[in-house]
Amino acid sequence: MLFYSLQKVIFWTDMDRFRPLMFVLFLLPVRVVGYFPNGIEKMAELALQIRHLTKSFKGRRAVDDLSFTVAQGEVFGFLGPNGAGKSTTIRIMVSLLKPDDGDIFIFGQSVAIHRNSVLKDVGALIERPDFYLNLSARQNLNMLAGMEAIPLEQVDEVLRIVSLQDRAGDRVKTFSHGMKQRLGIAQALLGHPKLLVLDEPTNGLDPQGMKEIRDLVRDLSDRGMTIFLSSHLLDEVEKVCTSMAILHQGRLVTTGTVNDVLNQAQQRIVELEVHPIEQAETLLSSRKDCREITRDGHILRLQADPENLPAINRALVEANIDVRAMIPQHSLEDVFLSLIEDEG
Amino acid sequence: MKALIINELRKIATRWRTAIGFGAIGLLMPLVLWGFHKGGTGIERSMSRALEGQFIIVGTLFNGFLETYLVMNLLWVHIPFLVTLVAGDVVAAEGATGTFRIYLIRSISRMKIMTAKFLATWIYTAALILFFAFMSLGLGSLFLGTGDLIVLDSGILILPPEVAWIRFALAFLLAIISMGVVATLTFMFSSMVNNGIGPIIGTMAVLLIGLAISNLPLDWFQTIKPWLFSSYLDLWRYAFYDPIPWDTIGKYVGILILYITGFGGLGFWVFNRRDITT
Repeated sequence: MLFYSLQKVIFWTDMDRFRPLMFVLFLLPVRVVGYFPNGIEKMAELALQIRHLTKSFKGRRAVDDLSFTVAQGEVFGFLGPNGAGKSTTIRIMVSLLKPDDGDIFIFGQSVAIHRNSVLKDVGALIERPDFYLNLSARQNLNMLAGMEAIPLEQVDEVLRIVSLQDRAGDRVKTFSHGMKQRLGIAQALLGHPKLLVLDEPTNGLDPQGMKEIRDLVRDLSDRGMTIFLSSHLLDEVEKVCTSMAILHQGRLVTTGTVNDVLNQAQQRIVELEVHPIEQAETLLSSRKDCREITRDGHILRLQADPENLPAINRALVEANIDVRAMIPQHSLEDVFLSLIEDEG
Repeated sequence: MKALIINELRKIATRWRTAIGFGAIGLLMPLVLWGFHKGGTGIERSMSRALEGQFIIVGTLFNGFLETYLVMNLLWVHIPFLVTLVAGDVVAAEGATGTFRIYLIRSISRMKIMTAKFLATWIYTAALILFFAFMSLGLGSLFLGTGDLIVLDSGILILPPEVAWIRFALAFLLAIISMGVVATLTFMFSSMVNNGIGPIIGTMAVLLIGLAISNLPLDWFQTIKPWLFSSYLDLWRYAFYDPIPWDTIGKYVGILILYITGFGGLGFWVFNRRDITT
């Protein structure tokens, strides 16, 4: 608590030149005596660490005591429905918003305390990419590169990566949404960031555009970049991410590798192919270990704990109902819904 | 910082509003010159009547200097409006168009970005005033010629051409400072909102209320008048007093600098703490 209070004072000071001094005077001693639970070395192994992050807007909690970590080199999916608090978290990450409490550490450094040096390692595309429409793609990127004294050769390099080199001289206002999205990624890549934050990068794109972005993400990941990908498209996370966190109403629902999270709920949602289906539905509806039963043609879908599945199967067979198939679900959407329902 | 200022100037230069300011002056001044050339005899006659009891007038009173002196009265309301058109957009437009999301996530402090925006606003303001000076004084002296400048204010002052040039240089410098306060006020409003119209309306409202208070002969209004920046928008007039009242100019410039510091400081303070939600 003491750490966060001191940190808040320093955060609100907002004068970069005084921050190092205040860090030495206040925060370093606190860390040295072990008040801070993790050592700096351990934190540096992580690309991202979010600790007890809280943010409210006009009394409504957008992010509520959120904590999770992202290891270096991961493609991390940040999943949640619209309004879950994903963009708020990301905006705090790149210091567009200030948290009410908690902090974010990127490569072991606090965003609140070391904003400028932290952001040197971060490239971000926040929601839809908005540029200076009257300027060309190259002029937009030159302008951003000039701010941080990034060599202008990098502008050509990032334009090549996103395959926009042929349209570099055209005004951004003539660009399609997909091209703007790619230009958004190009600006995020300026400065060779170690962590790339993409907030809903495939929003509004056609299937071809979505595939291009996914391929690009995989390509960037192969280059060793840590990628933090926010999305409400479950399929997208499943296709490109190695780990993920699910957010709902500002709170963390679950986090882990995509496979772990998938398995976690695979075992909860089951599809049953049974006959006669009406009789099966009536029987299962009367059982306390079956929840959320829905019928889709000849298929019954239900939620059940894995250990209860043999008993459910037995009950159906004893009632002379043919059980032709009992299939645990693989869709991440089911995972998402079942976890959120649990949370609710 | 140089790159940041160039970025901001480039953004200002590519906005339509910027063209409106320069375009308005570029259109107005030739019209005024043409008007003076064609219909200035009425003004000249009335001036001559005021002077002929005490002076023998040879030639014409009418020249580029007099024309510039008369049109400088535009600095009261019209030029501030042109200043606010651009200054209102400098910060707020980035919020409205969402470009903060690519600009404020770089490893440059908000303080530096705001400083660049603030300086760019001042450069635009100064450029607008200098363009006004070029169009009125430059073109005026070219087409209407130069000669003695007759200043009819609290008395009669006749300034020879070589002195008139220097007085106009001082007058335009003072005009830049007083218009700079208007620009800074708009900049302050601009740093608080996400649309470019609010700061313009806000500044013009403050300006009109201030001017009304400054000009209404009510006792209480007269008490607060010295503390209103709007009372010093005509600071340039002091450049045409004889002798030049340096003490008064220094005092008034000091008050304007206090306003600039206050408005600018508040703008910076608010923006540094602002959540960017657009």
